[in-house]
Amino acid sequence: MKKLTLTLLALLALAPLAEAQAKKKAADGKAAAAKKAAGPEALALQDKYYERVQIPTPPGEVVEVSSIALMPGKKVAIATRRGDVWVCEGAYEADVSKVKWTKFASNLHEPLGMFYQSGSLYLTQRPEHTRLTDVDGDGKADAFDTICAKWGINGDYHEYAFGSDPDKDGNVWVVLCLTGSFHAYSPWRGWCVRITPEGKMIPTTSGIRSPGGIGMNEKGDVFYTDNQGVWNGSSSLKWLRPGSFQGNPTGNKSSLLANFPAPPEPQSGSRILTERLKFPEFVPPAVILPHGKVGNSPSGIACDMTKGKWGPWANQLFLGEQTASQVQRVNLEVVNGLYQGAVFHFLQGFEAGLVPVRMDQEDGTLFIGGTNRGWGSRGSQPFTFERVRYKGTVPFEMHNISARADGFEVTFTHPVDPATAADTASYSLDAFTYIYQSAYGSPEVDQAKPTVKSATVSADGLKVRLVVDGLVRGHVHHLVADGVRNKAGDALWHNEGWYTLNEIPAK
Amino acid sequence: MNVLIPMRFPALLALVATTTVSMAAEDGAQVYNTLCVACHGPDGKGLNGLPPLVGSDWPKGPAERTIKIVLQGMTGPVEVAGKSYNIDMPPQGAVLSDEKIAAVLTYVRKNFAGNAGAVTPELVKSVRAATAARTTPWTAAELLKDHPFPPAKTALVNLVGTMYKGEWKELPDFTKLKPAQIEDENTGVISPAQAGLKDAFAMVWTAQFQAPEDGKYTFVFDCDDFGALYVNGERIAEVKGIGAIGTRRKEVPILLKKGPVPFRLEYVEFAGHEVIQLGFKGPKDKEFKWLSDTKGAVAKAKRTPIPIEAKDGYTASYRNFIGGTTPRALGFGFPNATNLTYSADNCAVELLWTGKFMDGSNHWIDRGQGNQPPAGDGVVKVSDGAVIAGPSAPSGAIIAYRGAKAGEFKAVPVAAEFKGYQLDKNGNPTFKVAGEGFTLTDAWAPADTRGSVGLARKLVAAGDNPVTITLSRGLAVKASLGSFEVGPRLVVRSLSGIAPAPVGNDLVLTLKPGEFAELGYSFR
Repeated sequence: MKKLTLTLLALLALAPLAEAQAKKKAADGKAAAAKKAAGPEALALQDKYYERVQIPTPPGEVVEVSSIALMPGKKVAIATRRGDVWVCEGAYEADVSKVKWTKFASNLHEPLGMFYQSGSLYLTQRPEHTRLTDVDGDGKADAFDTICAKWGINGDYHEYAFGSDPDKDGNVWVVLCLTGSFHAYSPWRGWCVRITPEGKMIPTTSGIRSPGGIGMNEKGDVFYTDNQGVWNGSSSLKWLRPGSFQGNPTGNKSSLLANFPAPPEPQSGSRILTERLKFPEFVPPAVILPHGKVGNSPSGIACDMTKGKWGPWANQLFLGEQTASQVQRVNLEVVNGLYQGAVFHFLQGFEAGLVPVRMDQEDGTLFIGGTNRGWGSRGSQPFTFERVRYKGTVPFEMHNISARADGFEVTFTHPVDPATAADTASYSLDAFTYIYQSAYGSPEVDQAKPTVKSATVSADGLKVRLVVDGLVRGHVHHLVADGVRNKAGDALWHNEGWYTLNEIPAK
Repeated sequence: MNVLIPMRFPALLALVATTTVSMAAEDGAQVYNTLCVACHGPDGKGLNGLPPLVGSDWPKGPAERTIKIVLQGMTGPVEVAGKSYNIDMPPQGAVLSDEKIAAVLTYVRKNFAGNAGAVTPELVKSVRAATAARTTPWTAAELLKDHPFPPAKTALVNLVGTMYKGEWKELPDFTKLKPAQIEDENTGVISPAQAGLKDAFAMVWTAQFQAPEDGKYTFVFDCDDFGALYVNGERIAEVKGIGAIGTRRKEVPILLKKGPVPFRLEYVEFAGHEVIQLGFKGPKDKEFKWLSDTKGAVAKAKRTPIPIEAKDGYTASYRNFIGGTTPRALGFGFPNATNLTYSADNCAVELLWTGKFMDGSNHWIDRGQGNQPPAGDGVVKVSDGAVIAGPSAPSGAIIAYRGAKAGEFKAVPVAAEFKGYQLDKNGNPTFKVAGEGFTLTDAWAPADTRGSVGLARKLVAAGDNPVTITLSRGLAVKASLGSFEVGPRLVVRSLSGIAPAPVGNDLVLTLKPGEFAELGYSFR
């Protein structure tokens, strides 16, 4: 024992300054940063800020949660991949061991997207958009009204349909996965369509590959997540601007079915920026979720409109991640008419691969559902239903990254220590993009190394203005701020973010 | 304390040296930990429900097999380390350079595949060039055809096969026979084919059986026609007389010490099929290891059915891809063991059958590929295609999108569209259809008539226009006393309201607004 102590002391005493610096430099690397974000240390901190509770599912039942809807009276409805709809009472209670489950319906075809409205549950299932009503009041749905069944399905398991909540006009947006995620063997595969309350189907965007979820921001603009694959160098969060092309031309031919303007036929092997400048209807991904670094398979989308009940993230989006069993955080802004923004690691440790996420905007509870059937996940249980609540302690985080003409403005959640935050060495940047191609995925290419020339801390200590040399339009800018400390000397909970710089603002 | 100083420098030097030498491996680790780790896990053992690399034969041996998997991906069922998977590996050929693929495979082979040897970028380049035309993922069968696994070493060493010609109905005294052929069987695998004859021969195999540890071993032995097994000098099993594989299978335990023990198998083929099934299970084995070229009929892990059936008088339902009808299918399984599927694409009940309803195990395990056929028997397909006709000159206001490829996509006018269904207290469905100027409800419930199981059906028309429904199409219709024999086993009886009428090989019903038809369906 004594000898060991002596050895350690000796090493400490002898460790020259240069070696310490070299060590720090090594720790600055991307791999180290990524490891930190996902490691046990981050998980321990998570317990300080957020409380994650697994809600017991109906005993003996396979409940692969595919949709979550909030009902009056603090009831929560979930749909499962096997096609059941269950209603949970007690999901908000401190003691969830007493939750009561009632089976509301069965016999649905892999529903992905469900909401409650005027006494009925509406859901988007594989073949159609449907309204479920308990007409006779016995607690079980007896009317299954088909609102719209116009899109094509051919028996391929991968032809998924994800439906949104109703927009301000009452329309439900449905994103239709390609056949097998590669082809368009049925009409309207690879499209987003809107379903009016009367059941009319309005083709809305082309260019979709393989969605994992759909949702809205605070303005009611609709976004979906699309997974890495053909024409998707990486997974990303995309903005469904009506009339737009989302980047995958596989389903273009369906435009002929409804006199929709022919979508672009982009050049494979190009870059998104190059092609979208040729085709104004091509809306680039709002936020790229770099494959393997942020996640592998993004899913559901929830917006924080809780007025602080979920933490200081007003209007930010929270994305489920299937493979990594995580929730990522996204801040968005509009520059030159296009959405762009940054993604940050946020919550982890969920028990299965996440699919639906649902925010109770009144209460600030985030419900998540998971399944790892057919697609493995870090979470080891076959399915899970969980709830996450904010504990009230603001974590030290980059609240958001915002683009400027000559760099970025980073807003922090705590006032920063001016010494570390004004030191350009506290930050590092690298930038890259992907090949935009018909092949599956892409390596990161066109690497650039923008440099932070100056870092100026605002008077209130919450903002740092970074002047950057070498911004690259169209690139993902990976910002690591691991040297920044708050006034208490704490490092960031998550020290990196990935900003997709579609447009560089004029000022 | 001073002793420590000189020690630090060699340590640092060693660190530098390692870093330089293992550059390629480090690059591979980085690729692995970015792309592969999400499924195969940091330790190569596979994340939940995903195939491991550790303990798998796939990454071992010639690297071409793995290079192909990484380049073009893999799809469909595959056995990995004794477990079945049905999952897709996405192609990485467009993501990773030759150098990166070489590095990551080198890393995988070194760390997870028992040091299987480095992979060069040149090899990746040549495989990439050779498979340039390949655009779809590989199947396991394709890969194993071109790159089979090496035959596994068995526990039999120095295996020698001695063949004797002749006809015997019981085991002969081999010491008195003259060998016709003696062969070393280096594979360690026993096969009657080693005799080179079809009938009228005997063989004796001798070897050392390598017991990997002390403990209880279980041998399983069966053959066509007969033989005897000797382990450690003991005759432990015999299959007697002329006969086939199956009913005479022997399973016998024996205690063995670690190390080689004498092994002998005597075998006679009289005529007909020649088969030997010989395997053993060691103290730690869960499954039999086979010493013969034919594996015994050990129950293969079959997918356990998930029966879906009516419960407590409540009709079961199943909305999924059901074999024999269209993709928008709704199945209902009634408590009296009659079943139907409704095609929402065609607004038609298309399949009727008796017995078991559906098995959910195809769609509810893994990703749920393919169509699930009805679980019961005597499935009658009553129609294919649209069955509802409204006004003779529809305006084209109701359209459906059809086509299986982009070039064939078209919007076609249809007479009616599916509007959903209503369930009664017992879960029995009423399907709802709307067309131009009419609506139609189509209710089904279990009803046994005259001792045979069956269903009651009630169709009600409303609106301004009449509607014609083809109740069955292309099945011989034989009318007798208010009932119709439809095809080989279905009987449709008019109970009240408007009666259907045969039109050629179709059974057709026309309802004016406000009219209804009550029909009884029974199965012969």
